[in-house]
Amino acid sequence: MNQYVKYIFFPTVILLVYFFFPFSIFLSGNETTFICVVLLCFVVEYFIEKAKNGEEIYMRPIAAIKAMEEAVGRATEMGKPVLYVPGISSLDQIDTISGLTILGHVAGMTAEYDASLHVPVCVPIVMETAKETCKESYLKKGRPDLYRDDMVHYVTDDQFAYAAGVNGIMLREKPAAVFFQGKFYAESLILAETGNSIGAIQIAGTGSSSQIPFFVTACDYTLIGEEFYAASAYLSGSPEMLGSIKGQDYVKVGCMMLILIVFISSILNGYGIIDFDIVSLFRTNIIK
Amino acid sequence: MKRQLAYFLVIFIGFLTLLGHFINYSPLNNFIDNDATQWFDIISGFAAFLGVINLLQLHLNKIANKRDNWRYSIITLAGFTIMIIFGFIYNGSSVAMGPHLKEDGSAFYWMFQNIYLPLGATMFALLAFFVASASYRAFKIRNFEATLLLISGVFLMIGRVPIGQLIPWWMALEIYICLFFALIANRFEEKKKMLFSLVICIIVLPLITYFLNLHNLSIFKIPELQEWIMDVPATAGSRAIMIGIALGTIAQSYRIITGRERSILGD
Repeated sequence: MNQYVKYIFFPTVILLVYFFFPFSIFLSGNETTFICVVLLCFVVEYFIEKAKNGEEIYMRPIAAIKAMEEAVGRATEMGKPVLYVPGISSLDQIDTISGLTILGHVAGMTAEYDASLHVPVCVPIVMETAKETCKESYLKKGRPDLYRDDMVHYVTDDQFAYAAGVNGIMLREKPAAVFFQGKFYAESLILAETGNSIGAIQIAGTGSSSQIPFFVTACDYTLIGEEFYAASAYLSGSPEMLGSIKGQDYVKVGCMMLILIVFISSILNGYGIIDFDIVSLFRTNIIK
Repeated sequence: MKRQLAYFLVIFIGFLTLLGHFINYSPLNNFIDNDATQWFDIISGFAAFLGVINLLQLHLNKIANKRDNWRYSIITLAGFTIMIIFGFIYNGSSVAMGPHLKEDGSAFYWMFQNIYLPLGATMFALLAFFVASASYRAFKIRNFEATLLLISGVFLMIGRVPIGQLIPWWMALEIYICLFFALIANRFEEKKKMLFSLVICIIVLPLITYFLNLHNLSIFKIPELQEWIMDVPATAGSRAIMIGIALGTIAQSYRIITGRERSILGD
């Protein structure tokens, strides 16, 4: 009963309040976004709860995530460093935050394997966060002695100067594993091709859809789209984090069904079989 | 306690920002749109000093201990010092310090225009060569998907250059026939049979197309075909990725603002 109250009654009440509240306390024009955010959050929460209650969660194996440990292991065996590039954006981008959460796990692996980690950073505030993340990961693995303050260091704020700096590091140090995890722009291919030329295992992940083809071409493994955001949850292995990915997948199934409904309805509307144009429902934000 | 405070701040500000997008309350909207971003800028501004200190520390240590490639650090520090001098101490123009940064004739501006910009442009120009080498690798025929990529890539390239518009319908048809035979070539056991079928198709199909008046179809105009590739399959693929990214972003944000994703705080 509690489950029904929590996952059906609450979101319904929130949506009813949002749409039928007599006073104008809600901003108009964000209705579609609001519905999507509320539904996604409750579905994710439901699956997190299920996972916490011990339900087994199957996760599709993602090659890029599985290869992370192999890449660090390879670097250790070869006695070469691991290079981690967290993108060129600041902390106001979710990609950078995701990149740093993955850095925490990679730093844990390098601490475990006693491999050398090198993190050149483009934004000073990201440098401070990355330093803390690495320090904590080394501490958590019981190897604070291996942590060096200069393993995370600032290069420059400029996009192409940063690319030149990182390329220089790659060519001089010849890392065996290179991770590109964060927000990237035009420098993505310059970095990935240089990494490719030195024969490093390259694992990329970004939410910049325009840079994904470059990474797919030049890197060995690429985390595409939502895989990048799920990587940290996947690596943590904790049931509640995995539950959130399961919830996300169910929302994706819902999206697919919605696309199919819109597609069929649009065809029927186009041939004049039904009068209602379903696409008009989704045009709210564009018109405003 | 320090860590709990950090979690609390992340959760509180996260929910506040989310509410700011939906609730019509001007102090809250003002906080989200102006104050919060200004706070972020101020914190980032202070972090810039930490960046500078880190850069100096790293390179001075490298030079002092004569670590590998320490000579490059001298160049980095020299560049850093010269720009500091031209930015804060030496002007070189008649305007006051500060506006001189954008004044044509100041030493800083000269360095920016004649060293910094050309170097940046050089790095950007390298992209063209990297695109060529990456395309070469991507277009290598390894499997069916790579072949499709090669074919669509070739059509896009031809369709976007002026010569693409000059290609007549029959030549486009011959290209399609050759590509089709390239795809099914391994199904033929006898090469002679394949060659015979190819020649027959190359001769007969354009005639059939012409007499059935099908040669005006868009598919035989390569610029229109490339437009279709960009508008339909490429857009569909990129939208699928965009939907995934949007869902991933919401789920990741939800994990962070509910305090479940703590890796960024070192947990």
